[in-house]
This record gives sequence, structure tokens and C-alpha cells, in this order.
Amino acid sequence: MRLLQFLTQRLLISAVTLIGVSLLIFVAMRLMPGGFEDIILGPFASDAARAATRARYGLDQPVLVQYGLWLKAALGGDLGSSMISQLPVADEILRRAPATIQLAVMALLIAIIVGVPLGVVSAVGRKGNPLVPLARGVGVFGLGVPDFVLGAILVYLFSRFQLGLNVGGFVPLAADWQANLRVMTLPAITLGAFGAAQLQRVTDVSAREVMTQPHILAAIARGDAPGTIIVRHVLRNASIPVLTAASTFFGYLLGGTIVVEQLFSVPGIGQYVITALTNRDYAVVQAGVLVGASFFLAISMIADIAYAVLDPRVGDPS
Amino acid sequence: MLKHSTRSGWIARLGALLLGAVASLSALPAWAADNAITWGKPSEILGYDPHVETNGVSWQFLFLTYETLVTTGQNLDVQPQLAASWTQDSPTSYTFTLREGAKFSNGRAVTADDVVGSIQRVIDPALASVWAAQLGPIKDVVALDAHTVRIDLAEPYAPLLAALANIQAAILPIAELKAGTFDPSKTLLGSGPYIVEAHNQDQSWTFAANPDYPEALRPKVPTLNVEIIPDDSARIAALRDGRVDIATFESPDVPALLAGIPNVETVVQATTNYYRLDVNALGENSPFKDARLREALTLALDRDAIGDIALAGTSQADYPLPRAFPQSDACAALPSYVGDRATRLEKAKALVAEVGNGAPVKVQLIASPSVATFPLIAQVIQSSLADANIEVEILQLPAADWLERSFTTGDFDFAVSWFTGYADPSLVLGWWNPDFAQWNKVFLPADADLSAQISLAKQTADGPERQALFTSICETIDAQAGIISLVGKPDIVGIRTDQINATIQPAEGYFQTLKNLPSFTRTGN
Amino acid sequence: MMARMLQLDRRILIGGIILVVLVALSLLTPILPLGDPAKVAAGPRLSPPSWLFPFGTDQLGRSNLPRVLQAIQSTCILSALAIALTMVVATPLALFAAYRGGLIDQGVMRIADVLFALPPMLMAVLVAAIVGPGWLASVAAIVMISLPLFLRIVRSAALSVARRDFVTVARLSGASPLRVVFVHLLGNIIGPLTVQFAYALSVGMLIESTLSFLGMGMQPPAASLGSLLFTGTPFIAIAPWLVLLPGLVLTLIVIAINLLSDGLRHAIDPIEQQGIA
Repeated sequence: MRLLQFLTQRLLISAVTLIGVSLLIFVAMRLMPGGFEDIILGPFASDAARAATRARYGLDQPVLVQYGLWLKAALGGDLGSSMISQLPVADEILRRAPATIQLAVMALLIAIIVGVPLGVVSAVGRKGNPLVPLARGVGVFGLGVPDFVLGAILVYLFSRFQLGLNVGGFVPLAADWQANLRVMTLPAITLGAFGAAQLQRVTDVSAREVMTQPHILAAIARGDAPGTIIVRHVLRNASIPVLTAASTFFGYLLGGTIVVEQLFSVPGIGQYVITALTNRDYAVVQAGVLVGASFFLAISMIADIAYAVLDPRVGDPS
Repeated sequence: MLKHSTRSGWIARLGALLLGAVASLSALPAWAADNAITWGKPSEILGYDPHVETNGVSWQFLFLTYETLVTTGQNLDVQPQLAASWTQDSPTSYTFTLREGAKFSNGRAVTADDVVGSIQRVIDPALASVWAAQLGPIKDVVALDAHTVRIDLAEPYAPLLAALANIQAAILPIAELKAGTFDPSKTLLGSGPYIVEAHNQDQSWTFAANPDYPEALRPKVPTLNVEIIPDDSARIAALRDGRVDIATFESPDVPALLAGIPNVETVVQATTNYYRLDVNALGENSPFKDARLREALTLALDRDAIGDIALAGTSQADYPLPRAFPQSDACAALPSYVGDRATRLEKAKALVAEVGNGAPVKVQLIASPSVATFPLIAQVIQSSLADANIEVEILQLPAADWLERSFTTGDFDFAVSWFTGYADPSLVLGWWNPDFAQWNKVFLPADADLSAQISLAKQTADGPERQALFTSICETIDAQAGIISLVGKPDIVGIRTDQINATIQPAEGYFQTLKNLPSFTRTGN
Repeated sequence: MMARMLQLDRRILIGGIILVVLVALSLLTPILPLGDPAKVAAGPRLSPPSWLFPFGTDQLGRSNLPRVLQAIQSTCILSALAIALTMVVATPLALFAAYRGGLIDQGVMRIADVLFALPPMLMAVLVAAIVGPGWLASVAAIVMISLPLFLRIVRSAALSVARRDFVTVARLSGASPLRVVFVHLLGNIIGPLTVQFAYALSVGMLIESTLSFLGMGMQPPAASLGSLLFTGTPFIAIAPWLVLLPGLVLTLIVIAINLLSDGLRHAIDPIEQQGIA
């Protein structure tokens, strides 16, 4: 019963947030200098041609009227069409979503598999344990090296020395999973590195906090095996901040990852939306942002439910 | 390390699993198919309708599927295409005879009515095509019979054939268009060498050779794949992997980047396109409203430095009349080009001192990062102008913002841009007439004499008289310093010579970088 | 507590020295005999490190050493400025929301939700396009992206502090609301905030460098470490020094910030747990 109430409340808040997001993007895009007509007409923009283009796409109406029309259509399930390709935005996003979701899942897995153990190691490692500086090093490098640099290095190394993974040439997972993994592993590593660093840090910090609590000190004094202490107490107690960080990272990835998609020619949502933003292809940006934000909200809602499961004390969703 | 056995075991198992996964994937597949050529291309099509589409990156697709009456040859000379032959009956009348057996990809034969309807559509004011004006003073287009078309002009127009060679004058299936069964803004339906088989927006295209195309010109390799790979490094990697057979580039550093890769040949193709500066001579707040500062600007520019440094030596100084044309000799001795730079710089300094009363003059240069070379060119310009006490602040505006300021609001000092040079010298010169090129009105002063001379050059056939006109036009343009030509804008092609045999024409005017694509063959075939 | 924070441990010392030396070198670039960072064609293009050009030259033949040094200040100062600005905006807002609760709290948190739900890179591009390219765009983008994060952190820290006895005691003893908020709450969350500042700083530098990737950050010839890395990456095969050297400096800065952050955390909460493995 409480869960139902909690879910209803979260759904309501999410709906309000989505409306806020869509309005913010709508207004912000029209505040940006230069419009769709400038892009499509290029340097050949006479006043008449500009006016004709604006009228053709309804860009000559007041912004709030345009927003109202958009919202009405969107609530009816119509996200509009790209002004550049003329293709329906909903179809295009659906076509691109699998690549983005796959990339996000792979990057998240890499981040968790690498980041959490390293975080534990750097938190519980004794002085002089050589793994501790290694773990911290991964954390620092992951945060300090921008994804486009790491990606460019991987592109160069893997194509120059033919290390077995491909750069570009996307193949859908359903078509050929091996070929797909060969293409998607490098971008997933590039993205996952940042997440791994973040999770290493969060795990480290929260595990340390837990380690100073009396029941852990007691367990150490009792002489419990380190593995037992880590799994039973440390990880369990550190799970909430780690879950928060992981879900935020995942939600961020689902919003589309511009740089990595471009570098590895992954046909995902991020590249689609950022190109549309440059081209002032309003309907595409609007829909892309809405989808990204929905993903983000859904993930954080799932994370909240997971908290409640992990730690029954977290009853109050506010 | 933890001394707990289950945990280290877990890590070991996971590690083995990952290594195994990578190992199982490590065999690279054979990329290239025997019956296909794959082209790695940086950009997707932006608009489908040839008559209104102005982006060269889109023309590269349109040229594959559409035909024009005539085309340009290896050196910008006019060649037959859909018209097998033509005659000039009088200074103002041309008759074209269509190729036998030409068919649209829906199987219908191309008729004279399609030609008439297409040309009428381009020049229809309601369509507002940019190419309408470049097609010249067309008075009438008539079908004499199913295979013959006559174009009548109001006055002589030398670049008519060159203008007809641009894809913006493509011949569309007009009957289908009128019947509403063909929407040129959504599909490609022409009589060109290729037919669209599949398209994955922003990812790839598959084209098949048009079976109705004349056998001698039909693509030798039946399938053409176009992979959209926006990132230069990724396109280089694809070329290195052999996943693409040929790739096109804009970045001038690509020859150096491709240099060490086995079996890759780099070709730098000259084009009639060139980088230019748009200078705001009219804006209230533009310091370049002062003609003295504009003159100082042209004198202080170091075009050689732009070519050598910003464009890595792939390009050299270009004139208002593009260097790729043999006629460009007429413009080779302009004041801002000749003599040593030190002398020009002295003059520039004196002018700047006059304008600024001894103090340096500050100006703002827009260089949109939407073209990767713009910021580089801007920085070399900044450095050269500093020598003449002109302090340049560079502003990297997004494309939409830059275009709006340059061509609509006129809220700028000067901006880096570039011209498509087309296939006749007088076509690009038309942009210096702001009554003709209305979008330039916000920054370019109208000069009645210059406009008259440009019109005259369009009426005059090649010869000494036209050369003299060109010289006079270029001199006026150089003195006016409203649009300043900088350096050529070459295209760069990387070819896997172990996979395909490809020839690249030395000069191009309409962005058809891979004009000879149908003649490419796979090695070993 | 403040006294303990001032207790210098080794990490704070090393991290601080690295940062101070780097920023000092950067600020002194104009008077050090290293060459002009903006001088085009000072040498051949893309030439490897040599005595004349210790960090090599870039795509326009500029000496890379003064460029890297100069870039340190734009990167560090911009990110620090942006994060400081975020803290200045977020802290009073979140404290106020937490203290008053009700509609004000709801309103502030819903705005934070909206900002948080927007894909960050897209928001950065939007903000930068509206503000116009330049250093201000970077600052504005970092502020907008980190604002919701700080609002949430400060609010939840404040809420947990507010439940503690000493705040209730202060309130019952008749202290003014303003005093309760600023002295007691702020005093107690300054620790977590400082640690967060260090982390956000390195994220801020990443946002700044990605904006440079899109040409909207520092305007040339000025450079940040991010824009140097971005312009250098295409040349990784033929001029790796253009990526490795600024990358090394950026990593050094992030290490220094992390050391500082660890040290501060320790200074605030000095119970050192024992290693068990």
C-alpha cells in the first residue's frame, strides 16, 4: 500500500518534471541566436525566403502557441517530424534507442565491475598494499582524462595495431551479436572509464564511512574474515550511495553520449539530438530531450525502489 | 589482496571470462565484398530536392541518382550527359537532343517534357531557387519533339551550359511530380548512374547500378555503399581497416595523417571553391565601414601564410576568379597580391594609424567551428593583422548564429566563409552584385559599374575581351574589399589502392568529388 | 572543527604545492622566457619536442609549452570560479528551502529536478549558445549542470543536521531563524561541501573541455587544457605530444585536487579506519 502511494507520488512528480523540461527546452531553443531558416537557406537567405521557410514550419507563430501545439500533439503521441530529413521523430528515436541503451548498459557494467571492487580495495586496503595506489590511480585517471581523449587513443591504437576490436561500422545486436560486440566494446570502455572512476570514488568514500562504525570495528576486533566483513557489512551499508551514483551515471548515458557516438560512429540518440540542435531542428531536440529525461526519471525511480528494498528504513520517499 | 579464497577466485573467473570474450572476437572479418565499392563520407544528405538544395554535401548524393542536360569533364569543360548533343543556333538559342534510351529509375523514358518542366520549375519564382538567377535570362524552354528541347535566351549568356551542368538544374520526372506520385523533397528518382536500394538515415546508403544506364558509362561495380562517418579519425581508421575503399575529407592535415598507412594513396583535388572573408562595409557598428580600414585589411592579409600554415600547404592564394580556371590569369596581378608583404604592410600600417589616430584598431572576426578550418584560418589572419596594428578578437559562433548575423542582421565586423566556385568564372562573380545576390545586401555595398561589368562578362564569350573585363572586375573587387578571396579550398580523397582502381579528376566545380565513381573497379576484377 | 581543518596533513601539503606551483607558473608565463603562446609559425608545424620547443609545436607552428602553461589558469580558474559560484547560489537557496520546507522547498526541489533530468551535455550546449561562446559560456554551463547536484547535497545535509539536538536547542533558546540557518547549519555542512567542491572541480574541468570540443569554450588563440586536448587529438598518430603533455598536466591537476580533497576529508573527520586487507 505504501509502495503504491510512493509510486503514485513519484509518477506525479515525474510528470511535472517532464513538462518543466519540455517547456524549458522549448523556450531555450528559441532563445538561441540563429534559427532553422538560417541553416537550411545557408548564405542564400533573402528576407522573402526566410519568411516563407518560417511560415512553412509554423515558426512564425508566438512561442507559447507553438509550445501549446507541440504539447497537444505530443500528448496524443505525435512527436512531429524532422524538418531536415522529413522522417517522423518517434520512428527515428526508436531506431536509435537500441544502440544507445546497449552502449549505456555495457558502460554501466564496465563501470560497476571495475569501479566497485577498486573502491572497496582502496577503502579497506592496508598501508603498503600495492593494489591501493592502483585503485586510486584508476579513479584519478578516469576523472582526469576527457572521454574524447581516451576514445581517440583507443581509436588510434586499435586501428593501428589491429587489436581485434573495430572502430565504427555499427552492426545491430540482433543482426550479428559478435560483430556488434566487436564494434561496441571500445565506445563502452571509453564511457565506462568515467563511470568506473566515479564509482571507485563513491565506493571508497562510503566504505570508509562505514568502516569507522562501531559494529564493523567490533567485527574486525572479533577477527571475522575480511571477505565476510566486506560483503556483509561494508558493501551492504555502502550500497545506497553507490546505487545513487550508478543510477545517475546510467541515466546520464541514456540521455545520449555525443562525443563517443561521433568518435565511434555509433548511431545513437545523442548524435541525433546534437546534430539537430546545431541545425535548429526543433522537433528532434524536443523529443530527444524528453526521451532522455524520461529515461533519467525512470532510472532514478527504480533506484528509489531499490533503496527501499536494500534498506527498509528508507520509507520516506521525500 | 584479500586472502579470502572465494573473492580472488571470483575475480580470476571474471577475468578469464572477459579475456575469452575478447579472444573469441579477435578475428577480423573480411570487409570488402567483391561486387561493391564502399565510400566513407563525412556528412549525410541535408535536403533531397536538387532544385532548392544548396549544400554541396547533399549534391554529392544527388549527382549519383540525377542527371543534368550537360555535365563537366575532367577539367571543367562541358560534356554531354542527358543531352547527347546540342547546337547553338544563334547567340540566344540552344537546341539539345536527348540521349536515346534514357530512363528514370521507375522505368519511364525521359522525355523533352521532363526537361522543359524541370527547367521551368527551377526558374519559377514561387520555388525561390538560388539557381534560377544563375541559369541566366531564359525567355523560353520548348519541346520540339519527344527528344529535342530548345532554350531561348533574352540576351546572350556565356555560362548557360556550365550552369546547366549543376545538379540544381537536374532533370526530374515531371509527369510523376505533377501527378503527385513523386515528392522530390522525400525521394531520389532520377535517370543517373545509380538507384537507391537502401538508406539508413545518418548511417549508410546502398546504391545499385542503374541497369538502363548506357553500358559504356554504367558503374563497373554493381553496388555502391556509402557509409556516413562524421569523425575524421574514424574515417581514417575505416580506411586503414579496409572497411571503406575510398574516403573523402576536408581537413588539410589528412595527407600527413594518411601518409604512413600502407596501400593508401592521398589525392588533393583542386576545386573552384575558395575560402573568403565577408567584410561588413555597411553596418553602423562595423569598423570596416571605413574604406581605409578595409584597404588596410587586404594589404595586411598574408594569403601565403594561410595556405602554408592553416591549410598545411594543401592550398595557395586564390583570386575572386578561382585559380582552378585557366581564365584566372586575368586576376593574378591585383594590388593586394603583388609585391612583397613588407611594402604592403607599411601601407596598411599607415592606413590603420590614420583610422585609429595612432592607436591600434580592434575588430571582431567570426569563425564558425562548423567548418573545422575556419578557426585555424582566423588565427593566422589574427596573427597577420596584428602586424598592421589591427587587433582581432575571434568569435567561434555556431553555424545558425553566424549565418543569421552575416546574411540577415548584419551584426558583425567580418567573418570567415567560403564560396562554391561552380564551372564558369562569371558564375561566382555574380555574388559581388548585391542586387543579384540579395542576401549580401546587409554588408556589401552596391556598385553599379561593377554590377554592369559582371553582367557584361556573362554575355561575353571567352576571349581577350572577356579577359579584360575579368581584370577590371577583379580590380574593383580588390579595391572594394567587401568580399575578400583568400585561398583555395581543395578536397582530399584517400584511396585504398590495393582494393580499388580509382581516378580522381584534377579539378571540380560542383562538389562532385568522385565524378569518376562509375568507372572505379575493384583490383583483381 | 575549523581548527582541525587547518591542520595540514601530507596530502593537503603535496596537493596544495602542486596546484600552487602550476598556477604560479601559468600566471608567470608572460614574463618567463618561454616564448609567445600566440605566435603563429614560431617554428615548423607539428614539430616534436626539442630544446627550442620543449613541448613541441602545434598545428599552427606555435610553441606548445607556453600554451600549455597558459591553459592551466583558464582551466583551473574557470572551473573554480564556476563551482564557487554554484556554491554561492546553491547553498543559501537549499538551506532556506530545507529550513522553511513546504511549498518553497517543493518549488526549489522541482526546479532542481528539471535541471537534473536534462542531459548535461545538451544543457551545456544550449546554455553556451544562449550566452555566446567564450569563458562566460563555460562558467554558465558548469553552474547550470552542477547547480541541481549542489542543491540536493546541501539540502539533504541540512535536513540531517537539522534533526540533531543542538539545532532544536538553539531554536528553543530563542535564536533568530537567520542565525539558526547560517551559523548552525552552515557551520556543520561546510565539511561535506568542501569535499564536494574538490570533486565538482574536476567534473567542471571535464565539462569545460567538452565545450571546447564543440568550439564554445575559450576562444582562440586563448586555450584551456580541454581545448588543447581537443585540437591535439586528431594528431595522436603523428604528433602525440600535443595530447600527452596537456593530458599529463590535466591529470596532475586532478591528482592534486584529489589529494587536497582526501586530506580535507581526513582533517574534518579524522577517525582513520584500519585496513583489513
